[in-house]
Amino acid sequence: MIDDRRRINPPSGGTSAPVFARTVKEPEYLPSLRPTRERGPNDLRKIFLQTGIVPSASGSAYLEIPITQSKTTSLIPPRSSLKIACAVHGPKPLPRSAPFSPHLLLTTTVKFAPFATRNRRGYIRDSAERDLGVHLETALRGVLIGERWPKSGVEVIVTIIEGDEDAWWGDSFEGGRGGAGGGWGLLNVLAGCITVASAAIADAEIDCVDMVSGGVAAVVQDQENGKEASRLVVMDPCPSEHRDILAACVVGYLPSRDEITELWFKGDAGAPPEELIEKATHAAAASMSVLREVVLEAVQAKFQGQLPEFKGKSKRKNDQPDVEMTG
Amino acid sequence: MATTQSAPTLTFPRPIFAALSPSPFLQAHLAPKNPIRANARAPTEFRKPGLNTGSLTHCNGSAVVRLGNTTVVCGVRAEVLRAEDVPQPIDPKADEEDDVEEIDTLRLLVPNVELSTGSTPTFLPGQAPSTFAQSLITRIRSLLLSTRLVRAKDLRIMYTPPRTTEDEDEEVQPEVKAYWTLYIDTMFISLDGDAFDAAWGAILAALRNTMLPASDWDQDLEMVLCDDDVKKARKLELRGLPVAATFAVFQGEEDEEGEDRSWVLSDPDAFEEGVCRESVTIVVDGKKGSGKIRRIEKSGGTVVGREVMKGLIRRSEERWEEWNAVLKG
Repeated sequence: MIDDRRRINPPSGGTSAPVFARTVKEPEYLPSLRPTRERGPNDLRKIFLQTGIVPSASGSAYLEIPITQSKTTSLIPPRSSLKIACAVHGPKPLPRSAPFSPHLLLTTTVKFAPFATRNRRGYIRDSAERDLGVHLETALRGVLIGERWPKSGVEVIVTIIEGDEDAWWGDSFEGGRGGAGGGWGLLNVLAGCITVASAAIADAEIDCVDMVSGGVAAVVQDQENGKEASRLVVMDPCPSEHRDILAACVVGYLPSRDEITELWFKGDAGAPPEELIEKATHAAAASMSVLREVVLEAVQAKFQGQLPEFKGKSKRKNDQPDVEMTG
Repeated sequence: MATTQSAPTLTFPRPIFAALSPSPFLQAHLAPKNPIRANARAPTEFRKPGLNTGSLTHCNGSAVVRLGNTTVVCGVRAEVLRAEDVPQPIDPKADEEDDVEEIDTLRLLVPNVELSTGSTPTFLPGQAPSTFAQSLITRIRSLLLSTRLVRAKDLRIMYTPPRTTEDEDEEVQPEVKAYWTLYIDTMFISLDGDAFDAAWGAILAALRNTMLPASDWDQDLEMVLCDDDVKKARKLELRGLPVAATFAVFQGEEDEEGEDRSWVLSDPDAFEEGVCRESVTIVVDGKKGSGKIRRIEKSGGTVVGREVMKGLIRRSEERWEEWNAVLKG
């Protein structure tokens, strides 16, 4: 590995993640750690969303899907939560050197924190992160009214503090299948990115045709009592809770216009895939209800004291008079 | 500033005044008898630290620190470095207190800082780490080593081989089979000044929160195996509690008597950092009167002399008490 001279480098000999004794030595211990889905197939995990976390940005938001975890005695976390922060900078004028653009130029950057996943990640963006950036850009470009900002650019920067996993970590140990191709966690991460970026864009007050939200659905085949169960379509799948994911789909969906700006489909859904896409839009509509509430609350807080119906209870902190400048 | 000429007066909203002429704006706030900074703090007032630990799933220790509008997430992750992968082995010295060389040469502490997360419009992603980010991380690493915060003893994974001979008197020496390497990754979510104090506070809190699993060398598998039992995991024994306090010196324009006016502002925000050139960072360990100075960094100007520095050290000790209450509370 080439040393990165701008950062502090790890030991040149290389390090490895710790291996836990009981997972190696006791064959029945590992499967006992496997998490299972406790929600119904149409129930989503709870979403926490907040706007305005980066005051120096024009808009920002934070999304978290916490894990409900009882107190465990093991140091190995059974599954991962989802924690995403997003900051929007702009719209601002393009540099002079840039060619003329009749509409708003959108730049999206998605980056995992080094501690976001079970395996440590590097600081330089890899192909999966670039891929996510492109998908996010397509999802957002469909909602922005770009013609209103000629010659300007906007940066949407998404930091994934913790991301969903591609499969249960023990599967790589057992030499299991881990699904067709894997990479299922990225779909959940993309759905989260779309929702959080949408909230940040609303917070930045950039004109949009509608708010977009992300949703995921998957076809899973779980084993029950050693027998292969029938196929089941679930909304908001947590990949570590399922033994086999056959297909999954993420959409960027505009519920009030019934439009899809982004669709990413993976795997073999078998029979007509419409059901899967339908379920994904249902999941997106459900996260939209959270998004809408949060954005509305933020707008109310912002305009408190300015709108007539709020005037009575003005609570502006910076209620200071203007400063006079003489000379 | 204020002239008696009957010039047409201009009135601006505060943000525009601040953006147009930042220096006079700050001076207008600090000049009165009871100076209040533009961010509604007194010059000697720090922002109260907010702390939340252990929220990251995949870390051995983690912390989120808030200083006003500055938010930092720090995660400590331990990985195993096998002794045979070390190019030049270092024998532990007899004196356990003298272990900096071991940690430094083996690079057992790997701190890094990421600022281009959209935390501030100045650092946008897609570029190499800025000079500021690089100097920040170098200062943090050097402080980690010079305060000897982490003990090498805690990071060694020892193994005592079984007796091979019948001789009962033969001493079996435990040997170092591997080391824990601590990756200390610090991400700025939002940056509004005083990056060093916030990052250091987060690192300190995350290291205090770190649990290393019980580990042993397995002779058959020839690898380190850990125990996933929470009860058997142990905390790091840190040496002391060094707390950083940063000050910015604002040099205003001369007053009517032609005297220089200057103010030393505790815990500057991004706006104040943009106006001030001189800055002082003091790291102390211990409460008022008994605090030990662990480091003093000063750059950029000539206002802070010996007398002012004494006052700043007192202010740093007060700050230590604040952090101490937050970290131990």
